[in-house]
Amino acid sequence: MRWLRYLNQWRGTAKEAFEQVSIVAKFLCLIHLTDRYIISSTHVQGPSMLPTLNLTGDVILAEHLSHRFGKIGLGDIVLVRSPTDPTRMVTKRVLGLEGHRLSFSADPLAGDGSVSVVVPKGHVWIQGDNLYASTDSRNFGPVPYNLIEGKALLRVWPPRFFGSLR
Amino acid sequence: MYAFGPSMILTLHPSGNVALAERISEISRGDVVILQSPQDPNKLLIKRVIGVEGDCVSFVVDKDESRRTIVVPRGHVWVEGDYTQNSRDSRTFGPLPYGLIQGRVLWRVWPFQDFGPIGPTTT
Repeated sequence: MRWLRYLNQWRGTAKEAFEQVSIVAKFLCLIHLTDRYIISSTHVQGPSMLPTLNLTGDVILAEHLSHRFGKIGLGDIVLVRSPTDPTRMVTKRVLGLEGHRLSFSADPLAGDGSVSVVVPKGHVWIQGDNLYASTDSRNFGPVPYNLIEGKALLRVWPPRFFGSLR
Repeated sequence: MYAFGPSMILTLHPSGNVALAERISEISRGDVVILQSPQDPNKLLIKRVIGVEGDCVSFVVDKDESRRTIVVPRGHVWVEGDYTQNSRDSRTFGPLPYGLIQGRVLWRVWPFQDFGPIGPTTT
């Protein structure tokens, strides 16, 4: 019987502990939802978006709301799930929306041969700013709009390049 | 989710079913999957996965009855509806990037007389 009384004494503390844990749990859920569906920070690296983004890596803030409302426009830098490797995300610029006619040179180092293409319905044309070192729609074709997962807003690291991306 | 349409007759009813889908497991050949349409970003389709990357898929082009063979590129899958006569699938829009797959259909909940798993075997 003594241990029952002992348990009762701890009831107050247990209740308080539970409340604190549930506050932490709710906060973590909120962080996860914000990161996944509203705005998140991503580390991007690689030469395909020079000179806009650095070779060795930048941290950018990307928002995940615009693509759900169809508000991705020409010239936006977007985070896209790669059509050739579904576990990777790539960062490119949108250069064509559905219905646009684009002409590009299939291999910029090999001369002037140029190809013209119309972006089909439900797709976008993405290209890296650095045409010489980017695998993008010139290689794998227009990508379906739903592969876009975020739009880049601004760069937060390195601090001397802090600012919005154009 | 509520599914309707003629393209999966014999597996799903054309006039409506309620089914459960999961997003956890790896997609393999024979699975019925939900995918975002590459032609209309707001539409969701339900089709069966016929081929995964690297597979050689052979299909009949409806318009002129000719047979074509294609290798599914890396990162893509080939989907077809079970009722091929009335289904807009990879034979129309080509191989589908894996990232557009939203989940795998597991179980039919309604109509109740058909309650049960939606499996990989086709009739």
